[in-house]
Amino acid sequence: MVVELISHRDFHRARELVTGGGLLFEENFANLVGIFEEDALVAVGAREGNILKMIAIEPSRQSGALLGELVSELIRLGYEAGNDSFFIFTGPQNAASFQALNFIPLVHHPKTTLLEYGGGLGRYLEAHRSLVREGENGAVVVNCNPFTLGHRYLIEEAARRVDTLYVFVVREDRSSFPFEIRFRLVREGTADLANVTVLESSAYAVSHITFPTYFLKDADSPFDIQMEVDLSLFGRHLAPFFHIRRRFTGTEPYCRTTRLYSEAMKRILPRYGVETVQLERRWEGEEVVSAFRVREALRKEAHETVRRLVPPSTLRFILSDEGKEIRERLSGSDRRRH
Amino acid sequence: MKIARRAQAGTMQSSDLQVFLEPADTLNIEIESTVKKQFEHLIRQKIEEVLGRHGVTAGTIRITDRGALDYAIEARLETALRRAIKESEA
Repeated sequence: MVVELISHRDFHRARELVTGGGLLFEENFANLVGIFEEDALVAVGAREGNILKMIAIEPSRQSGALLGELVSELIRLGYEAGNDSFFIFTGPQNAASFQALNFIPLVHHPKTTLLEYGGGLGRYLEAHRSLVREGENGAVVVNCNPFTLGHRYLIEEAARRVDTLYVFVVREDRSSFPFEIRFRLVREGTADLANVTVLESSAYAVSHITFPTYFLKDADSPFDIQMEVDLSLFGRHLAPFFHIRRRFTGTEPYCRTTRLYSEAMKRILPRYGVETVQLERRWEGEEVVSAFRVREALRKEAHETVRRLVPPSTLRFILSDEGKEIRERLSGSDRRRH
Repeated sequence: MKIARRAQAGTMQSSDLQVFLEPADTLNIEIESTVKKQFEHLIRQKIEEVLGRHGVTAGTIRITDRGALDYAIEARLETALRRAIKESEA
């Protein structure tokens, strides 16, 4: 029987089993569950949101049904908590065990395999099927926190080079401007561009699943692997569905994460027949236009500077009652990088 | 009968299946199975039969199957359906 592990003693035993299996024991999880046999902990696993992790089974018991029992319970708890689809990263040697449980591999990386249970990717693509256009299409993946004249310039330049340009707005809600607002401002700011289609990226591009480090400030975690997984998922699943042959990115003078990500694009995407096109960023004064600059200006309440960096649609929102809350939050202590 | 709430039943064990039910405006049946190639049509037929018997005409029904036999499919689906009603009445 699978039980939740809650006592200190159980935690300690879970930690031993997890680290014994060569995994890192992390303190952040919603559920930690295990299976006991004659008072010995023989299997352990955890869930954090829609991610399953720290799954470890006593080596002598690995051939049996413990994995299915453990994962069933984690999925049951996760579904009850409101998740539909679940992800796991595992060593390539373990991928088959999860595939036997109906997990579908999304990305095979030499160091890790990303699998999904619950068919979320299929549903995401199906929900966007009506947006698919034939042709030589392009894509940008943007956070737009908030939408600036720099984004506008990048999108306009990219759209001129392709039949349809898909603008994937990062779904993850970890930025100063909430997703709904970022999405709306991208839509409004590109409404006049006939061949531009704006859509959300869900969990499948630059998300807490594919690229968690993007949302952290001074990150030096397994960076390369994350970026490669993220881009492989894009190349393998999103690009062919939307007939995307080119992915556009701006030159990045400041942010190391973004710069490394652009470099990884050039390394990974050609494998999937996608060309990376780097466009020169738009300048305003002595610096490139960036959302970071806009937020800095908002922080200092330098509204004249903001006016020079954003299109009228974004400015209108910022100065509105609705935008007031974000303005106030920014002039407080919110200093997120993206 | 209407699926008014999310509900689930079943496990991931061999010869079992997991059933997930969600409210929706139309009827959608999604089947994932380790024996999908050979048996998807039979699983679907069984699901449709049980749904028909309970008069379910709308909702999302997701199945992940590991080679469950007919009676297991029926039992798991009925359990999930009962939970979907019970929870909605509560």
